[in-house]
Amino acid sequence: MKTTAFTKTYSRRMVLSLPELTLPEGKITAVIGPNGSGKSTFAKVLSGIEAADGRHPVLSGVSVGYLPQKSFPFRMSTEKNILQNGSDPARAAALMKALGIEALAGQSAKKLSGGETARMALCRILMRRYDLLILDEPTAAMDMESTLAAENCIRAYCAESGCGVLLITHSISQARRLADQIVVLHEGRLIEQGDTERVLSSPREAQTRRFLEFFGV
Amino acid sequence: MGSSIRKAIELILSADPELLNILSTTAKVCLTSSILALVLGVPVGILLGAERFPGRKVLLVLNRTLIGMPPVVCGLLFYMLFSGVGPFRHLHWLFTVKLMILAQVVLITPIIIGVMETFVADTAPALRETARGLGFGRMKEYRLLMNECLYSIFSAYLLSFARAIAEVGAVAMVGGAIAWKTNVMTTAIMMYTNRGSFTLGIALGLILLTLSLLVNIVLSVMQGRLSR
Repeated sequence: MKTTAFTKTYSRRMVLSLPELTLPEGKITAVIGPNGSGKSTFAKVLSGIEAADGRHPVLSGVSVGYLPQKSFPFRMSTEKNILQNGSDPARAAALMKALGIEALAGQSAKKLSGGETARMALCRILMRRYDLLILDEPTAAMDMESTLAAENCIRAYCAESGCGVLLITHSISQARRLADQIVVLHEGRLIEQGDTERVLSSPREAQTRRFLEFFGV
Repeated sequence: MGSSIRKAIELILSADPELLNILSTTAKVCLTSSILALVLGVPVGILLGAERFPGRKVLLVLNRTLIGMPPVVCGLLFYMLFSGVGPFRHLHWLFTVKLMILAQVVLITPIIIGVMETFVADTAPALRETARGLGFGRMKEYRLLMNECLYSIFSAYLLSFARAIAEVGAVAMVGGAIAWKTNVMTTAIMMYTNRGSFTLGIALGLILLTLSLLVNIVLSVMQGRLSR
């Protein structure tokens, strides 16, 4: 699927100016870049949470799921939270088990820790099939074991549903493990895009090289 | 003082008819006005907290002004509107329970709006981002928001009830504190104290304090349960 070129301005400051992008179905695209590069704004505009300048649609005719950085736990049990986004208890149970929160099914979601809330939120968004699923740092609050389990779930979801996944991440190693292609943002502009291995092993742009060197890549 | 308190307790225990009449009038005025204020205030508060529209800030300032409105000013306003020279004189509502309820509704609805607006303005953005990200429609978004608001609605109601039951200025002006008709606990305390009859005043004061204590106990218990 293709996004149209768009800009996003806050208080007369343009924070994002992106060309047309192709997000392949059934593939995972990681968006990397330093803080303030516009990754989360990109996710919000793409998901329709925020409007692009001129309010023109960036994606048309596709269903988009979006998991924000800090997902909101509704005032109900963990299981009921997950079932808000689908009516298949067996799938909810399987996802909770895969992410290690099956013992928390009956517990109030408001009482979950940060990592548990992140796992519950991931289970919740994975309950339904979207044409494009946008995940904004879904594992930022998780430990390594949970992160790997979450990555397996995301990979399986992408393969089973055939939908495109856009993964906003700060972790280069996560991008390497999960993504088929990488988009690099810097100061609100796209500076590089390509296959994961190509971008990480031989980046074409100096800014990408500097960014990757910082992570020891 | 000690003997007055003892007599007041005896008055409560003996179910004095005048005391019971004052209590029933108070209950009628306060329960009706606080429920009406809840029905009016909750949707407006949620709307002001959750939505952004032209004029919202003006409405918020207006509401905060109304929260601080002195009850006697409210009473004066209604007195003028419903007295023999006012535009609503033909209704003959002055010195009736109806007008006392109306005045109370005007006094306490802004409190409910304020409590709801503060809570919703804090909660709605994160909830909305998550709900829209999941692809939920507006109706489901509002259902989830209402579910988050349960404790706030409850505490707003108890706050407004507490304000209603403690209110004296407006109900005294528009009700006239007529014995066996429009006399509520606060106006009765004033009336009997002015007459030098402390016993009934102390009895009513004790009941008011007990009610206030009960409201706070219920709030504390429900806070734990509903915030889960």
